[in-house]
Amino acid sequence: MVKLRERLRATYYDYFKPILMNKKAFLGFILLACFGLMATIGPIVVPLDLTTKWAERLEPPSLEHPLGTDYYGCDIFQQIVHGSRDVLLIGSLAALYGTLIAIAMGIASGYLGGKVDAALMGVTDIFLTIPSLPVMMIMAACFRVTDPFSFSAIIALWMWAGLARSVRAQVRSVRSRDFIEAAKVLNLGTPHIIFKEILPNVLPYIAINFVRMMKDAITASVGVMFLGLAPFSKVHWGIMLQMAMSMTGVAYTPWGLHYVLAPLLSIMLLEFGAVLFANGVEEIVNPRLKGYE
Amino acid sequence: MISRRTFNRVIYSLVTLWAAITITFVVLNSLPIDPVDVWAREYVIQYGYTYEDAYEMVKAMYPYKLESPMWVRYFEYIGNLFRGNLGYSMAFLCPVNEIVVKCLPWTLFVLSFAITISFAVGCLLGMLAAWKRRGFLDAALIGYASFTHATPNFLVAILLFIFLAARYRLFPLGGAYDPSLKPGFNMAFIGSVLYHAALPILSYVIEHIGAWILLMRGSAISVLEEDYVRAAVARGLKDKRIMTAYVGRNAILAPLALLAITFGYMIGGSTLVETVFRYPGIGYFFAEAVSRADYGLMQGLFFLLISAVIMANLVVELIYPILDPRVREEG
Amino acid sequence: MDILKVRDLVVDYLVREGTLRVVSGVSLDIKGGKVNALVGESGCGKTTLIDAILNTLPPNGYIRSGKVIFKDVDILRLGEEERRRIRWEKIAVVFQAAQNSLNPVMKISEQFVETVLAHRRETKEKILERAAKLLEMVHLDPAQVLNSYPHELSGGMKQRTIIAMSLLLDPELLILDEPTSALDALTQSYIIGMLREIHEAKKQSMLLVTHDLPIVAELADRVAVMYAGKIFEVGTVDEIFYEPLHPYTAGLINAIPSIYGDLSKMRPIPGNPPSLLNPPSGCRFHPRCQYAKDVCKRKEPPLVDAGGGHLVACYRYSG
Repeated sequence: MVKLRERLRATYYDYFKPILMNKKAFLGFILLACFGLMATIGPIVVPLDLTTKWAERLEPPSLEHPLGTDYYGCDIFQQIVHGSRDVLLIGSLAALYGTLIAIAMGIASGYLGGKVDAALMGVTDIFLTIPSLPVMMIMAACFRVTDPFSFSAIIALWMWAGLARSVRAQVRSVRSRDFIEAAKVLNLGTPHIIFKEILPNVLPYIAINFVRMMKDAITASVGVMFLGLAPFSKVHWGIMLQMAMSMTGVAYTPWGLHYVLAPLLSIMLLEFGAVLFANGVEEIVNPRLKGYE
Repeated sequence: MISRRTFNRVIYSLVTLWAAITITFVVLNSLPIDPVDVWAREYVIQYGYTYEDAYEMVKAMYPYKLESPMWVRYFEYIGNLFRGNLGYSMAFLCPVNEIVVKCLPWTLFVLSFAITISFAVGCLLGMLAAWKRRGFLDAALIGYASFTHATPNFLVAILLFIFLAARYRLFPLGGAYDPSLKPGFNMAFIGSVLYHAALPILSYVIEHIGAWILLMRGSAISVLEEDYVRAAVARGLKDKRIMTAYVGRNAILAPLALLAITFGYMIGGSTLVETVFRYPGIGYFFAEAVSRADYGLMQGLFFLLISAVIMANLVVELIYPILDPRVREEG
Repeated sequence: MDILKVRDLVVDYLVREGTLRVVSGVSLDIKGGKVNALVGESGCGKTTLIDAILNTLPPNGYIRSGKVIFKDVDILRLGEEERRRIRWEKIAVVFQAAQNSLNPVMKISEQFVETVLAHRRETKEKILERAAKLLEMVHLDPAQVLNSYPHELSGGMKQRTIIAMSLLLDPELLILDEPTSALDALTQSYIIGMLREIHEAKKQSMLLVTHDLPIVAELADRVAVMYAGKIFEVGTVDEIFYEPLHPYTAGLINAIPSIYGDLSKMRPIPGNPPSLLNPPSGCRFHPRCQYAKDVCKRKEPPLVDAGGGHLVACYRYSG
């Protein structure tokens, strides 16, 4: 029992306290946590009513409709809350797939070296060079995307390359360090080396990149949906944005402004939170980068 | 005459290009639906052709024979590419090349301005921030950079569009220039071009300058800790000299390496930014092609996009050794 | 004749754990025309002392108090521009691991030229002429070196290039921080021979900062011993090596392996150098000293003259 308490305490000091102390990481964490809460319990607490109510079209924010109503008279706040679930789901799934692929490729390439390394890096470079947004658009247009899982897969396909390269670089530098040589001499076996020696050194780095990848995945999903290409969710913020901008002159008149700004600002806040958090954690791990604290 | 390294780089770029084209080809030819049928029906409705005629028309638009097996089609396609035939647009009913000639210059124009401005100004600010650490400038720049780095460029574009163009009419609503003007090297035309390009360029710059600032700042901070900077101070060199020749020249190598990736990223972003401003560049037409399922145009423009990115990569690769003598080949 | 006098210098570093007082009230006289040596273990504050003299401290370093008097002027009180002019023209420093002291993206010739142009107006040709002569003096081929980039030269060549560059403006005092570390033994002896030539040629005043006692024995005229930010002993090279007074100095001398090899006589100093965040009370050496008395633990011994200019800070010779 005491051991568990010790363990928790250690975890707190190692992981949470630094985040509390660093302004960026803390602020980012708060933002992410808010949206996370919105995504998980929001849809349970807040109902979603998508029936068209022509009489209440494009009403400005009020007590009854905190963010106003959209072109069809539906409450925007409800849509934002429900949409947050889709946004975060796609974002984290894509980041998860992408990170897994990147780790696998990076470790394989970095650890095995030689021809395998050259081949894998060649493939990685190809994926790195092809501009991600256009090719995602092509894929979304060709394969009708009907669920978040395949959509996330499409996105992840074009995001893993950067991280794979970095992972490989890290693995290579760690691989030649002395304690790996020691482990080899002690005949500790390849899986042990990978999991117990290499991975813990690379882990914080991977965590930072996961959050960044999530942010990029959200951008990509919004971008693809902005062109109306993956309309499987009615309330994803990307779709909301697309409808807001395309519905007759909404942007030109003062009445439609809230309809555009709601999803737009939500996206900006969420991504800002992710970036802050990632940068803050990076500062913790690498204190030289600190600016003005 | 050409160094081995240059040769390798060129070969490598061609291989990447080939791989990208092949992937696209495979994707576009594995469609679960028959695009010929879809477009044939479209023409029947739109233009009143008979179904059989429309079908033949659409078939002819493809740069390869549709009945042949995949690999024969593939070789025909590559052959056509070598001859400069990028395909046919089903939505606009003209060869892709025609569209390319009209739209490529606009995108290149906007992107080169955007990249140059954001890189130059960004790196300068980044270096200043690193030099005067812990000052107000440093804090302000980091704040700005973090915030804009998080915002995708097309969201910035939307905001600019709504507030500066749509509502307050400070900037035009779309197009590359005022259609009532005749193109030519006169002041009015050039002025109009710049006026119309301002917001798109601004969208890229606002969003991306933050990245350069952060990158350059980080790089400069590393360089400032290097022994040779300390030795330069000990040698009594003036601050300005140290900032340019020692910190500047060394710190810029890191951001420079990412210039090519930035170009790729901006080309990708152009699909959306140009859509928001209805700016007739490659991005705009590509977005049109995708949303209208114009596979011919999609394929042709995508090839162009990839070529542009690969070429940009190659150029940066070749410039890099000029600036960093450690990377040069010995001769 | 003292060319440089350090008086009660105190230098702190601000680190995450607190304030590190790296130099605690150091006073030192550097004699002109002689090779002065400052010896001590790594981390005793020698490099910080040099940084303080020229004000090349990193941003978290602060000079709390003290004076550095060069030709009757306290250079610590000077303005930035005047201090810049003193650097290299009057006092030149060759840093540790000088291999990294050269700008990797500039040719060596350009670095020579800009060094002079920062202080005087001269034509490029004259500068390069002088640079060539200096490079020859350090036994390098001027044509090859001047046209190269730093990464094209070996570590030893870079070291010699920097030494040549240090003499470019004919400084009155040449400070060398660990000039032979990170070099192989052969190059080391080469550099030592070269330094001796330089000293003999122009009676160049030098301050040699090192932990390597054998070099000190070969080159130095006077030696000061530093430990944990304090000066323990000052004397001529013979006095230090043959009649070391301070127990620390004696320990250092005894720790040098002799080529005649009676290893049983070799005795390392027990214990570890103290943490500068929380230095020991009184005499900083007392935890490791076999002669430690009560008073050593309470008060710091002052630096006194034990006879003929041989200074020592130890209660065995004072109080």
